[in-house]
Amino acid sequence: MSGIPILTRRRALWMLPLLALFPPLAPAAPAGAPAPVAEATPTDRRAGTPAIPAAAADKVGIGSRDSQKCMRCHWMETMAYRDRETREIVNLSIDADAYRHSVHQGLACGDCHDRAYKHYPHRTSSADEGLSCVGCHAERQDDPSLSPPKLDAFDVQYQHSVHALEARLAGGGPFSCFSCHNPHSFRPLPNDTPVSEVVAANNGLCLDCHTELLSPVPKGHAWLPRPRQHWRAVRCLDCHTPLEGRQLYAPSHELLGATESNQNCVECHSRGGQLLAQLYVHRAEQEREREGFLAHAIYNDAYIIGMSRSPVIDRIGLAVVGLIVLGVAAHGYGRYLAYKRKRRAR
Amino acid sequence: MSALYLYPVWLRLWHWLNAVVFFTLLATGISMHFALGWLIPFEVAVPVHNISGILLTLSWVAFLIGNAFGGNGKHYLVNIRTLPMDLVRQVRYYVYGIFVDEPHPFHVSTEHKLNALQTLSYVGVMYALMPVLIISGWAFLFSAELPETLFGFGTIWLVAMAHLLLAWMMLLFILVHLYIITTGETPTTNLKAMITGWHREGTSDEA
Repeated sequence: MSGIPILTRRRALWMLPLLALFPPLAPAAPAGAPAPVAEATPTDRRAGTPAIPAAAADKVGIGSRDSQKCMRCHWMETMAYRDRETREIVNLSIDADAYRHSVHQGLACGDCHDRAYKHYPHRTSSADEGLSCVGCHAERQDDPSLSPPKLDAFDVQYQHSVHALEARLAGGGPFSCFSCHNPHSFRPLPNDTPVSEVVAANNGLCLDCHTELLSPVPKGHAWLPRPRQHWRAVRCLDCHTPLEGRQLYAPSHELLGATESNQNCVECHSRGGQLLAQLYVHRAEQEREREGFLAHAIYNDAYIIGMSRSPVIDRIGLAVVGLIVLGVAAHGYGRYLAYKRKRRAR
Repeated sequence: MSALYLYPVWLRLWHWLNAVVFFTLLATGISMHFALGWLIPFEVAVPVHNISGILLTLSWVAFLIGNAFGGNGKHYLVNIRTLPMDLVRQVRYYVYGIFVDEPHPFHVSTEHKLNALQTLSYVGVMYALMPVLIISGWAFLFSAELPETLFGFGTIWLVAMAHLLLAWMMLLFILVHLYIITTGETPTTNLKAMITGWHREGTSDEA
């Protein structure tokens, strides 16, 4: 994921021009709105957040006069530095096109970032502006022109997540909303996004960091048959969030660690398919509208192996079929003997 | 030798198309249910099963229309008065008479082409089991729209179990059906009749 400056600590170098982060806004959707998450990439900038018309775009967001000063440097794709402490590259480049398609497109740089950035070269201390998605959204609830979704519930969930817990154990490590969500390109996926794209977008967020899971035998998933196939079909969060209290339109941000996560095949491959319900149910209606009644019926993704499995019925069925086959074979043999007897009698 | 034209073209076409769809559903269904990727890959089995299910629905509706307006429906009328004795005679023939060269207790005519056992089993399959199988199949196709629970059970589970049970029963039906067609005057008499439309008897001395 490009342009996610996570590592903004004191040691940001002199060239930390604007520390690419603006905004507070981050994950997921407002209550009642579909929320799967995506970063606006060239391939998925279709629906969802409409781009501001070109003429208007010149005046607002990164087109505003103040922002243009920032973008004089930050439009460059190579705008980055290597953090001295972590030795990681911190990307400070802003993809203007992605920004104009993001949910934050109407915000100018200065709407979120500290005014101290006006000084150039930027001071190292400017990086400690403490941007908070939850705080900014809360502060702007009364602004009718923005009306950002409340993120408090996500924050509560996040605080119980393995990411937050490990960050606390590590003494306030570098994990934040921005670790997964790039505020300069974030927008929810359009409602009519096919399940496979939802899965790819969501899992992309996880696998950007968890690259160790891209191996043929991914760490911690040795128990899982065909991991690659699973990752194409279901989101990581379908297993790595609690089963209880799921909301159809707001995927939980309480990401679970390996031991707490679902490892019970039957939760998906069985009667209720509860883990998958969230992924498919809210897609079904949109898919039907988009593809038509018949195409939705034929190509729906809802059936998973094992959904109809009942060991009792299967055993009884196999036993009865076996008996019938034996019975039929015996009956046929009897008829054959009777036929031979009849031939001999003639 | 006698020859009766029992199966008009539309009926034979329906029968064989129905058979193709039926076996396609069986093969894809078994492959999906038991995850037999070597039989039919899952990605292929699912849409083929769904398409075949829709075709089976159309085929079943065609069967109803054919019975209602094509004159074929009379063969599925059960005569309650004579049914018990007809059943006894037919079962007795299958379990005993057929082995001792007894004459067939039922003689095919243009008015009655199905014996009591056939009538009962076809009525049961086409008018009782098939609707439930089709409804449960369509419910599967739109499982996302189903209510979460029904009568205190997960709706999808009820649908899945009904579909599974019906599928097993249909498999049993088809096994018996395949065998019973060999019990005509010769093992191929009934099969030939469903291919040519003509039911011919008295052409062979085979049992």
